[in-house]
Amino acid sequence: MILDLHTHSVASDDGRAKVENYCQWIRKKELPIDGMVLTEHRQFDAASDYRALEDRFGLLLLKASEVETDYGHCLVFGVNDDLLHAFDFARLDNPLGEVIDAAKRCGGFAVPCHPGRKNVGLFSHYEVKPPVDGVEVVEIYNGGSIPGEDERSVEEAARYGYRGIGGSDSHIVSRVGLCATEFADDIATMDDLVTALRAGRCEARTWRT
Amino acid sequence: MADVDDAESLARSKTRSARMESIRERWVGKVFQAFDVVVDRDRMLEWAVTCGETDPRFVDPDHPDFQASTSFPTHINIARGLPDDFTEIGSGRGIDGGKSIVWHRPMRAGDRLHVDVQIADVYAKTGRSGTMTFVVNRMTYTNASGEPVATVDWRMIRQD
Repeated sequence: MILDLHTHSVASDDGRAKVENYCQWIRKKELPIDGMVLTEHRQFDAASDYRALEDRFGLLLLKASEVETDYGHCLVFGVNDDLLHAFDFARLDNPLGEVIDAAKRCGGFAVPCHPGRKNVGLFSHYEVKPPVDGVEVVEIYNGGSIPGEDERSVEEAARYGYRGIGGSDSHIVSRVGLCATEFADDIATMDDLVTALRAGRCEARTWRT
Repeated sequence: MADVDDAESLARSKTRSARMESIRERWVGKVFQAFDVVVDRDRMLEWAVTCGETDPRFVDPDHPDFQASTSFPTHINIARGLPDDFTEIGSGRGIDGGKSIVWHRPMRAGDRLHVDVQIADVYAKTGRSGTMTFVVNRMTYTNASGEPVATVDWRMIRQD
């Protein structure tokens, strides 16, 4: 099962894609993905209900978040009320270690994204600050990366012993599915996804040329 | 050295957060300009043609449903981007972050519209090029009956 683990809809301030349009695009282009995770910036979009779209298009649509930390941006899966109260999703400087710990404690899982990117990637911060305890997985393939960023992510992830996932980071429909993550097991819920990420039963995929 | 960098970075971050809170508290939701505008038929037509519209509702004044084309509210606005005494953010003039338009009902030739201009949001985010502050200018168009016609959100970006 293949899921795009990093996407943004109009619920993000810079997202230009409606979720329905993502679904239409995935089906029209016959993309090899089975669903996507909406990771809106600095918030958790609790209000949106995509179940009708899931039924209509036969896709899995899950919700997570992309938060900003002192070590760059970070995807947070398994967001729940406890986690929403554990730290301020809107802040730009959440300590990454605290985000990772809070996610674990509350039943979620945190994954630093586009780690090879300047300013907002984990490894650019590792140039001047010590590695963060608790990081297990990073997004080694990101659809918004410029040349060199994903290469650095792959190289440094191997160096630090981190596993990798992929996500398109799409903000417009035509970018969805450029990178994704293949799971060994079927994923039906966010709990399934968190369990699979923790267990490492997945592999990053990219279709970027 | 890393500890010093960390401390400086944390201090900068806290200062930025406090400043952002202060700016938001002072400005978000504040209407800083209001004016009336009469929708001119020729300007509607000229703008629609310039934008390459072909829908007769936008380019045929004799069409029974003749109305302003999609982006017209951004063309007729005479609003200031920011209040004259708005807090100084970053350096230079910044860049245009784009406009989004929500239509509530058609805008017709001859309509007298009232426009309220407010700061709808101020927030910061980080990217490859560092920390950027976004200021959202919201123009709300209402008709003579007080009904909403269109809402335009204009994002302006400043780099810290």
